[in-house]
Amino acid sequence: MKCSHPPSLPKPITAILSVDLLVRILDHIVDAGDRKSFRLVCDHFLLAESLHRRSLRPLRLKYLPSLLGRRYPSIESLDLSVCHSLDDNSLATAIASGSYWQKLRRVGLARASGVGWKGIEALVTTCPLIEAIDLSHCCEVGDRVAAALAKAAGLRDLRIDKCLGVTDVGLAMVSVGCGRLERLGIKWCMEISDIGIDLLVKKCRNLRVLDLSYLQVTNNSLRAISSLEKFEALSLVGCRFIDDEGLAFLNNGRNSLQSIDISRCQNVTWFGIASVIEGHRNLQIINMGDCHTEVTPAFLSQLSLIKTTLNILKLDGLQISDSGLQNIGSNCNNLIEIGLSKCLGVTDKGIGELVSSCTCLRSIDLTCCHLLTDNVLTAISKYCINLTCLRLEACSLMTEKGFGQIATGCSQLLEIDLTDCSINDIALQHLTKCSELKVLKLGLCANITSKGLAYIGSNCNNLEELDLYRCVEVDDYGLSFLADGCKRLKKLNLCYCIQITNQGLQYLSSLEWLSDLELRGLVNVSSMGITSIAFGCKSLVELDLKGCSSIDDAAMFALARYSLNLRQINISNCSVSGVGLCKLLRTLKCLQDAKLVQLTRTSVEGFEFALRASRCKLKKLKLAGDLMELLSPKLLQMLQARGCRIRWVDKPMLFNSLTIE
Amino acid sequence: MIKASSFGMNFSSEFAEMEQTPWPSEISTSSCSANNSFEHLNLIPSYTPTTSKSFNFNSQAEGSHPRNRSNHQIVKDPNVCWDAKTMLNNLSFLEQKIHNIQGVVHSIVNQKSQISSLPNEFAVQQQVLTTDLTSIIVDLISTAGNLLPSIKNNLFSSNSPPAQSCNSFDPSTQLEADAPFPNHDPPTLEIEKCAGEYNELKKSEDDGREANHIEDHDTKESEDGAETDNLLLGSYEVLQLAKEEILAPHTHFCTICGKGFKRDANLRMHMRGHGEEYKTPAALSKPSKNSEPTLIKRYSCPFVGCKRNKDHKGFQPLKTLLCVKNHYKRTHCDKSYICSKCHSKKFSVLADLKTHEKHCGCDKWLCSCGTTFSRKDKLFGHVALFQGHSPALPSEEGCGLGSSEHVGLEGNGYGFSTNYLNDDVDIKLFDDDRGYLSTLSFEPYEYGVSDDFMKVAFSFMENSPIICPSELSDFGEKKGDSSDSHCML
Repeated sequence: MKCSHPPSLPKPITAILSVDLLVRILDHIVDAGDRKSFRLVCDHFLLAESLHRRSLRPLRLKYLPSLLGRRYPSIESLDLSVCHSLDDNSLATAIASGSYWQKLRRVGLARASGVGWKGIEALVTTCPLIEAIDLSHCCEVGDRVAAALAKAAGLRDLRIDKCLGVTDVGLAMVSVGCGRLERLGIKWCMEISDIGIDLLVKKCRNLRVLDLSYLQVTNNSLRAISSLEKFEALSLVGCRFIDDEGLAFLNNGRNSLQSIDISRCQNVTWFGIASVIEGHRNLQIINMGDCHTEVTPAFLSQLSLIKTTLNILKLDGLQISDSGLQNIGSNCNNLIEIGLSKCLGVTDKGIGELVSSCTCLRSIDLTCCHLLTDNVLTAISKYCINLTCLRLEACSLMTEKGFGQIATGCSQLLEIDLTDCSINDIALQHLTKCSELKVLKLGLCANITSKGLAYIGSNCNNLEELDLYRCVEVDDYGLSFLADGCKRLKKLNLCYCIQITNQGLQYLSSLEWLSDLELRGLVNVSSMGITSIAFGCKSLVELDLKGCSSIDDAAMFALARYSLNLRQINISNCSVSGVGLCKLLRTLKCLQDAKLVQLTRTSVEGFEFALRASRCKLKKLKLAGDLMELLSPKLLQMLQARGCRIRWVDKPMLFNSLTIE
Repeated sequence: MIKASSFGMNFSSEFAEMEQTPWPSEISTSSCSANNSFEHLNLIPSYTPTTSKSFNFNSQAEGSHPRNRSNHQIVKDPNVCWDAKTMLNNLSFLEQKIHNIQGVVHSIVNQKSQISSLPNEFAVQQQVLTTDLTSIIVDLISTAGNLLPSIKNNLFSSNSPPAQSCNSFDPSTQLEADAPFPNHDPPTLEIEKCAGEYNELKKSEDDGREANHIEDHDTKESEDGAETDNLLLGSYEVLQLAKEEILAPHTHFCTICGKGFKRDANLRMHMRGHGEEYKTPAALSKPSKNSEPTLIKRYSCPFVGCKRNKDHKGFQPLKTLLCVKNHYKRTHCDKSYICSKCHSKKFSVLADLKTHEKHCGCDKWLCSCGTTFSRKDKLFGHVALFQGHSPALPSEEGCGLGSSEHVGLEGNGYGFSTNYLNDDVDIKLFDDDRGYLSTLSFEPYEYGVSDDFMKVAFSFMENSPIICPSELSDFGEKKGDSSDSHCML
């Protein structure tokens, strides 16, 4: 859209808003849609936006040269995790295409399962300034890739979560090569042990953030880590060999630890955490959820040592008495976030005491605290006026009265989880007064009808995520309100809302930004409805059609034609045949994850042909276990070699009767 | 070799004539002259110049007598109260020593002013300092003791510089008349005291040594069996063999034919061939251990300056003759055995070579500098020590390493399904050669698709209700495409 100014107007908008002013405005525009609108104003705005943009997440590699080379000169951060068919060759070609790669500082390659050490080596040698690389969930990445990474001497931030092939040797190479490393994530790298951590600590003295979750490391690693002087955040989720003795090593107070996450460590008790607190008076975040420990008065009094700094405390799954909650309230006044999900023994009285002292609370998680009633909501609405996030899943004793108070007291609420709270339309009417709501979860609230959705549609214009799982009363008419009012909706869950038909989906097709749509078990929806969704919702990335038994090949053709950005699809139990499947897999270049179980109308040859037609670009595949024998071994080998992980599901499979033996 | 001589056989002449190996003359003449058990052990030869030959070593009481302090700067002459010249020497020595310590303290002060690098290092230095100061004090007292003959005796317990003077002191020994004690009463009390003190001093020295251990690269030392057993000083006697003795291939020689043997038992077997008299059970049986409880023997290395040498300040005796041999060869000899596999590792003890050859080539842990290690922790220790070194991957197929680890993982029973693991291993095999599956070379349509499937597909296409015209034209185009010739979509 080009602005053409009639010559009679003396001052065009460009004269008033110079580029640097526009750039300043852009600092405050985060949402992708808003930025798009901004770009479309005029050339001048477009220029400002392209100058301002620092990060890019391209969907297709082939446009990268023109994007990076001409349009966005100041890109520093490039996320290639959603680029389709990314492998060593295409990456090398892209890197060779221009000098702009040399300016890159951050590169994201999460789940880029096709990229190997050659690609990484090319990347690292081409980008001398590179500071951050994300390779998480590239499961087949091994020591050879680590060796390539080690050549990036300036690397500060590295994530190799779930790179299953990385061993101590790989980590050691990275430690030696990247001595300036500050943040490292090696979660789920199951072959890394104490010896690797020890060397890491010796070589990378600037380490600040370390994620060792689910590793087999022992206390010796903690002893080594305790010598790091700049250390700030440690994550030890599910480290079963860590115990209190190890945490006592951190007690030396030599570093400025701010955050510690030891949730799901079986052998850690409150005593170990107390000793950490003893040594680190600046601790801000403690997550000790699901540790097999109890919350003793001694521990709570220890919390008073970090009274001023503690912001986030998570005690999920522990047993806490009323007096314990009262103690937390009096000892930690500055709490911003508290997690009490699945805590036993949490009552109205305790929460009342807690919130009356912690008035800064912004996020409260009370998931599965079954005993809580409206009194809690009254207390929260009275004291926590800044509350933005409230999770009340399965707190079924709460009524519309309480929610009315929440709506008046906590008007800044952004996120509320009411799954399984069996709330009704009246409660929803109250809650929708919080017009800033972005996330609303109403799963399993069978009482909600179109009336409730009308309240949502008319009040919550900023809603981005709505969960209506098994809200069986919801019908097409209700969806029309959503489609009219919540134009920003990105995620929508309508699973098992069985009254919905093609008409409802027709309404939803006006949601331009919808990226995530779950339509499980909607038996009344046919290919027609999916076609309208595919046509209207251009941003669709994830689609779940499991058990929509009326959906056939026509829907696949429509998706193949219009939903070019589709990355994940579940068409298990649909009436899709080999032809539709073939068309889908062949045409959708971005498709990465496909769940294809119990496609009773698809023959084995249909599978074989469709998977071959996909050019093996899929990263994740779910297939019936019987197919393991029936598909050609060469195909399976090819798929796996391209980085595709196949999950075989053992479900009885009925093949298409048209299968010709 | 001691046992051989205890047979009481005079073989010196034969030995001299029929030497199988080139024996240095010194041994054949001087040390094999008498048939006592210690004759060819040069028992502390250098420091007992006046006594060595005339001593009757069979007598235990006297055998342990030589008490040599001469190596130390404090030379004590029992006949003269004190010698001005010696005194001067002593004092200047002390001065020098104090000066040295001053230097050390200076350096410590400097280090402290900076940020202390290693807390360990400071402790080590302190230990060394303490040891040095102790020895100075001892020296000082002993020097002063010379001036005052009347209190000399009382001071003895403290004036003997620990490691040197008390070496061969035996509490059970009767003291010789020429010992520097005017008082002839058996000074057992003092001696015990002396031993105790010596032990204390020694302990402190040991501590120091332990702290210093990083610098001690000869890790084999501990295998020499010389780790300090807490023997009381003087409860054992120190023997020192000449280096030629140590290096001799055989230690037991037939008195008749001169053939050499490594073991006495073998010699006895051999002797049977020389006549009936050697076949008697008495001759064949192991010489009885009979006799009085013998003194525990400890050995000293003849290499001056070695810490296994009895004159070394922190003398650590060697336990057995084998230890002496291995120690001497490992530490003071050329490494003449070269590994036939790697042609780089050298050894001076044959057994070491054999041990190495057993494992040579199995080193799978490789450093970027080319060094290989048999154990991962050794490699990581090496990498931690040297700046810029990094573990390296084997140049060719690295999968052996990885897959073995995977097996280990499976063994540990981690929450992976077997499927999961297999996938992983399979993928690993492709890790290196991903290139061969490039997009260009991969053509999905090379597999034939059966005509029947086509038929079905076509029939569907014809009946399909919502296929738009563009879809059909799309199909038409694709059909003409040569690469997609089998495919109708």
